[in-house]
Amino acid sequence: MKKSLMLIIMLILVATTVLAGCSSNNASNNNTAANTPKEEPAKEEPAKVEEPVKVEPFTVSLRHIQIGDAQKFRKAILDDVVKNTEAEIPGLKFELDGVEDQVNRFTKLPAEMAAANPPKIFDLFGGAGDAFKYAKAGRLLDLTPIIQELGMDGKFLNLGQFTLDGKVYGLPIGGSTEGFFYNQEMFTKLGINAPTSFEELEAAAETLKKNNITPIAMGSKGAWVPNMLMNTLVGRYAGPDVVNGFATGTAKWSSPEVVAAFAKYEEWEKNGYFTKGELGLEYGDMLNQLLTGKAGMMFDGSWRSSVFKDVEQAKDLTGKVGYFSMPAVPDGKGDQTYVNGNYGNGYGFSADLSENELTAVKAFIKNLYSDEMQLRGLLEDGVLPSMKLSDDALAKVEDPIVKVVMDIMKNSGGAFSHFDSTIQSDVYKVTEEQIQLLIAGRISAQEAGDALQKVQAAANAK
Amino acid sequence: MKSTLRNPTVYMMFILPTIMLYTLFFIYPMMSSVYYGFTDWNGLDNTNFVGFDNFVKAFSDANFINSIKNNIYFILFSVFIQVPLIIFFAILIGGVKRFQGVYKTTVFMPSLISTSIIGILWGFIYEPEVGLLNNFLSLFGIERIYWLADPKWALLAVLITNAWQWMGFFIILILAAILAIPKEINEAAEIDGTNGIQQAVHITIPLIKPIISVVIMLSIAGAMKVIDIVLVMTKGGPIGSTEVMASYMVSKAIRYSEYGYGTSLSIIIFAFALVLTAIYQLVFVRNQERIEY
Repeated sequence: MKKSLMLIIMLILVATTVLAGCSSNNASNNNTAANTPKEEPAKEEPAKVEEPVKVEPFTVSLRHIQIGDAQKFRKAILDDVVKNTEAEIPGLKFELDGVEDQVNRFTKLPAEMAAANPPKIFDLFGGAGDAFKYAKAGRLLDLTPIIQELGMDGKFLNLGQFTLDGKVYGLPIGGSTEGFFYNQEMFTKLGINAPTSFEELEAAAETLKKNNITPIAMGSKGAWVPNMLMNTLVGRYAGPDVVNGFATGTAKWSSPEVVAAFAKYEEWEKNGYFTKGELGLEYGDMLNQLLTGKAGMMFDGSWRSSVFKDVEQAKDLTGKVGYFSMPAVPDGKGDQTYVNGNYGNGYGFSADLSENELTAVKAFIKNLYSDEMQLRGLLEDGVLPSMKLSDDALAKVEDPIVKVVMDIMKNSGGAFSHFDSTIQSDVYKVTEEQIQLLIAGRISAQEAGDALQKVQAAANAK
Repeated sequence: MKSTLRNPTVYMMFILPTIMLYTLFFIYPMMSSVYYGFTDWNGLDNTNFVGFDNFVKAFSDANFINSIKNNIYFILFSVFIQVPLIIFFAILIGGVKRFQGVYKTTVFMPSLISTSIIGILWGFIYEPEVGLLNNFLSLFGIERIYWLADPKWALLAVLITNAWQWMGFFIILILAAILAIPKEINEAAEIDGTNGIQQAVHITIPLIKPIISVVIMLSIAGAMKVIDIVLVMTKGGPIGSTEVMASYMVSKAIRYSEYGYGTSLSIIIFAFALVLTAIYQLVFVRNQERIEY
């Protein structure tokens, strides 16, 4: 009896496995069947124009970081570029691989670079810690001839973070600046005006605190988040040139003006201006604090602006968020109208490309770095263009935050970049350690400056 | 047939494929790891032989020393808090007459759940504002604790989660040993007038000593190589307060591409684990008598 029961159970199990296998086959068949008609018209058009030569299909891997709700506008642009490029190059199929930004930048891409098998096209950050390191090791495609071939010479606003020894190794997708986003409704209710001076900023923080609202939303689990604010404070207190000066030895972390920036951060920390328990909070949590009204301000990059016009994400706060840049600080060195500006994130390409893949890469660059896509990035995603656009095109911007950001950029004396792109990666990781120690109250501002200068001096001596 | 089996070439034919696979996937990677531990390999630039530099650097690296300390906390917590609790619960469940199966399944359940899920689950429990734990503690007027964000509490929070995950597995191991003790021994003791506690202390525990020592050894080995729960819950933060040797090794090798240094750290971890378990074997296990019922 038992044996036959077992036999029946086994038979049922085997049958379900087989059937499940069949059903998934069917499902995938259905999928492909459903997909083919959609793709066909796009693929057939160019095939008709060209000779009816049999096309060898080939794939090109593409790593992007446009995942999650906040990135959906940027992803839509990428999808269109992919579609256009596939239509243009017969046989081409992109294999999209979406990976979270930090995982890609700090885990996946470095490992792939070490193994010399990065994707053919990938999201890349500029500067010493990323693009320059890979370029020196010969992993990145030299784009200088392609830029010339496509007639893009001089079209980019700033390629500094991707240019090494006169050669360009990556193309920024957009520009950004960092500043304060604030809840306009809350500010009006509490009678606070958008701060135009440092005193007003601190007074606003005090008022918010008195009303049991966290003045500045912060998520410091990833130290790059508080480092954005720290970076801007350093640029204000020690002057815009200081960011480039650390690696060249002309500026010192332990100097009184840089320590003054750390001291201000420490003071704000002690005053309770940041979210409590920030060391356990992720970057995304910071946005939630502002959106849910727990915090009044948030220091973040201008790339965040598209969230505040999207009802799905911003909910009640849609269109009610304003932006201002870090006001001039008392006794700050240098031009106080400078902004923290970056053209540091974009795409890089593998040096190891076949002829077909190179053609695909060129078409991808042509389609992605076009006036049309740059303008779409600006209008839909609120990302500042990395290429020169006509005044007519720029005048189409309606988003109030983007308008403010563009005004700030226009009226600024210039831009200083983020120190993660100028200092050596050995030093950068110590800045991450020190800012978290400062937040936890384990070290003083002077100790942070001294520790950093020690590592900086060692790195400069190498 | 007999003569075929006596032929050494036949043996070789059977074992060669396995040895080849073993060499390819174990011996070769292990040997190359040892080699890379003595280099400054970073994946991109030329690799140089640096002798014992990496090892010297490791023992003067305050962050690594801190992670060793945290590993020691893991070991102490599992040996002195987890193991006694495991024995306590195993004895309790062993004494249950009805629904023993339900209890067994319930305590075993956490070991079946993936660490990522456990990390997220306990993340909710530890959530400072609306989390279960703080809500419960607030009933007693205890102020909000930032479990995973406060360097003072984060390690304890991870230790508790780790214990919760693995206790069930060890409870089942010990329970099996308890249930294997012949009933007559306890019955005889009962007739002699012993109570439950006396039976547990004087009969059950001495009889399951060998399995307890296995559990302790497994706990030490587990605590030495713990990493997954740390990566999922805190990534070693805040400010290194939950960093363990393995997570520090991963962060050095993967996050900062110091593959050479990372490899040397992994050799150190291996050596530590080997020495600790060897000491434990020599000191405790050797001295035990074989128990036969």
